[in-house]
Amino acid sequence: MALLLGLVLLGTASGSMEMQHILADNSLRTHAWYPVFTVLILIGCFSKSAQWPLHFWLPGAMSAPTPASAYLHSATMVKAGIYLLLRLHPVLGETPLWQSGLMIFGLITLLVGALLALHQHDLKAALAYSTVSQLGALVALIGLPDGAGVKAALVGILAHSLYKAALFLTAGAVDHATGTRDLTKLGGLAKWLPGWAVVAGLAGLSMAGIPPLLGFVAKETLLDAMLESPLALLVVVVSAALTVAMALILVWDVFMGERHDSTQDVHAPDLGMLVGPAVLVCAALIAGVGVDHLVKPLVQPVLHKEIHLVLFAGFNSAFWFSLLAIGVGIVVFMTRSQWRAFTMPETPSGKQIFEGVVGGVERVGDLVLRSQNGQLRYYLFVILGTVVLLQLSAGLSHITETSFQFAWNDSTDILRGLLLLVSLGAMVASIVIRQHFMAALILGVAGYAVGGLFLLEPAPDVALVQFMVETLGTVLIIIMLAKISAPERQAAMQNLWGQSRSGLIRDGVIAILIGVGVGLFALAAVNHRATLPNTISVWHLENALPLLGFPDVVGAIVTDFRGMDTIIEITVFSVAALGVLTLLSTPDTGSDWPRHFKRLAHGFRSNVLRHELKTSKIHHAHDKAFAEPEIETVFQSHFSTPLTRSVSAIVLPFALLVALSHLLYGGEGPGDGFTAGVISGLGVALWYIVYGYNEAQRRLGWLKPRYLIGTGLTLVIANAALPLLTRQPFLTHISFDAIHLPANLHLSTTLFYETGIFLTVLGCTSTVMEAIAYPGEVEPL
Amino acid sequence: MNVIYAAATGIMFALGVFQLLRRDMIKSAMGFYILFTAINLFFFAVGAFNGQVPAYSQNLPKGQPSDPMVQALILTAIVISFGSYAILLGLIAKSARRYRTADLDTLNHLKG
Repeated sequence: MALLLGLVLLGTASGSMEMQHILADNSLRTHAWYPVFTVLILIGCFSKSAQWPLHFWLPGAMSAPTPASAYLHSATMVKAGIYLLLRLHPVLGETPLWQSGLMIFGLITLLVGALLALHQHDLKAALAYSTVSQLGALVALIGLPDGAGVKAALVGILAHSLYKAALFLTAGAVDHATGTRDLTKLGGLAKWLPGWAVVAGLAGLSMAGIPPLLGFVAKETLLDAMLESPLALLVVVVSAALTVAMALILVWDVFMGERHDSTQDVHAPDLGMLVGPAVLVCAALIAGVGVDHLVKPLVQPVLHKEIHLVLFAGFNSAFWFSLLAIGVGIVVFMTRSQWRAFTMPETPSGKQIFEGVVGGVERVGDLVLRSQNGQLRYYLFVILGTVVLLQLSAGLSHITETSFQFAWNDSTDILRGLLLLVSLGAMVASIVIRQHFMAALILGVAGYAVGGLFLLEPAPDVALVQFMVETLGTVLIIIMLAKISAPERQAAMQNLWGQSRSGLIRDGVIAILIGVGVGLFALAAVNHRATLPNTISVWHLENALPLLGFPDVVGAIVTDFRGMDTIIEITVFSVAALGVLTLLSTPDTGSDWPRHFKRLAHGFRSNVLRHELKTSKIHHAHDKAFAEPEIETVFQSHFSTPLTRSVSAIVLPFALLVALSHLLYGGEGPGDGFTAGVISGLGVALWYIVYGYNEAQRRLGWLKPRYLIGTGLTLVIANAALPLLTRQPFLTHISFDAIHLPANLHLSTTLFYETGIFLTVLGCTSTVMEAIAYPGEVEPL
Repeated sequence: MNVIYAAATGIMFALGVFQLLRRDMIKSAMGFYILFTAINLFFFAVGAFNGQVPAYSQNLPKGQPSDPMVQALILTAIVISFGSYAILLGLIAKSARRYRTADLDTLNHLKG
């Protein structure tokens, strides 16, 4: 909240929200609000990057699963604050407020984090506190005058990410292998987990700052930057020593020495799990040795000046301080039991204050919400009610300046109005209609009407995708509805309107209030829409054709200018599809799911399944009351006529042809790899509906959805990474215009990129369809 | 037109929220879908609105092109919302298969 407020003030002060404009504004330091927004932004960044006294959330978040903590706590989340500080440094920095604020809090955090880390028994908590300490160092570096510390901060970010993620993953593996993360219980694991011991050892060396790892370079530059100020230097050396000790504890106590607690069995995790941390550690090693060639090009562009960055800078003062830190660190490590016993004085820490405040709020909340009835809908109601109150309080002040112009520009506006009416009417109908199938179909109409609006804009690309996705969504919900037996659906539907009148009124009121609030907000937003196109859009419009040969600007943005977004988007899509698969392909007892999952994933599905259905029927034969409602027969009696069978047999190859044309001519008009994938996916879905699950599985034996996802994603990423070989940026597209092809075809790497997206999306849609259409096993309740 | 778009967004939100609060999980999912649509429409109305020609840079009559940036963002939003919709439907199918009910309150009682 503080950050948001600070940024809004900053934007107001400089008169623009565009980063470029703010960064060019040199008058900000003398602005009357400077202290206010700077302090607010600093508070925001400090809490994000876990600075004292707001550091407590980071160790608290350690209960998350290991990949999450490795990713969040070592790299992305906590560095977000640092990143923002670095970005704003050129305009807000170099003032006493900025420098002293960053130095004081950064150094305190550095020391406190390093001290607290030594006290932890939990492996992950110790890592978390050492992360806190490193973040403190980074913040302090940014606060140094004349940007002297920026180089060290950048190297530090890279080094820390590499070794800390590796250590977090190791901690997860240790936890998995032994069932404990307690440092006092662990020991001697090298015998069982030799590979992990090597990885953790290297990561620990990088953390301790031993050459030739990148951590050494980071620490050297850190010490070098701090040489000017004796107090800061003292803090840094002490903390560096503590860090060395911590690294030794983490590696030695876990992997060497004797095992203290032999009650637990050690079972080695998959070797595949080792790949991730091993890659990270190797990167740290390589980057350390080749720091001049690998890291310098990354850091240089930020600083706008020539920098000096080598692995070994000679026997300068930084080196001697580094040596001192390592020596002291080893001493601390030797005497670690005393250090751990030493208790911190009891002062109300930030965490206690925070918990006190939260506790107070909770008590007040308990009074208000005496009826915690466990209904999710009720909670949702409370949340939404709060939203309404917030909306109204904020919106009412703006309503006065909003004009209610009501003008029909031309005939298309009438068409737009009609389409909006159609979609609204369809939505109302989907609420009122009692049959799920009809409601789902009518909801599809609403989506199509919105697609029509996109088309009228004119935004053909968006409209096409909207049509595709709408169709897919409707097909999906219909397949799913067929899976739920009619009595269940009827029971659910009867309860729909059967609930108490007061409940209906309550929901109605909250819905109307939300609608009014959002409507007012939308009105304000629409009326204050920028009249001029923004700079980015204009740039895209001008450059799509010359740079990429794409007349379709939206296509160009999706495939190239914002190609990274698309990569992430299809990754999310794949994860969603695989999520649905795991959710539905596991037997509902949950006991032997890995076996089952593998079987499902490995292709000999239909045979096994038919066998399984047979056995499961025999198994449950004595219990006729719970016999599976025959979904196959339901489907077949409804949809499977000779006509539909022959039509759908043609549709899939045809859909694949259409998909191919979309791929080849994607840059010319609407449509790209994504729509191609969805179109083919719809063909597949039709087969599932018409032929039923078993027959569709048999006919689609050549289609391996999971392999498609993997192949597609690999193709996309490989294609994006390919230009790196020729020292061009990630995602550069190479055009082969020299090769002339018939029929106006343009050959470029974009085609491979699109093909990758196509394969991924086809794989995803087929996976989802297969998972939802899967008959499953009958579990008597 | 502005007023109409804003009003439509508001009404869609109201319908979506009402649907979302139903006991019937299938209807709830439909409510989610209405909300997705409403949000995309809102983005669209605020961003890409008022173009006269599609955002193509060749063979087209002159005029104010529709903002391509917003269109690209909506494209991504549509895809992601479909992904979450698929997960939602998967969850419902799973619970219907496992607990044999699509009614939230019955499900709550099963929790015991």
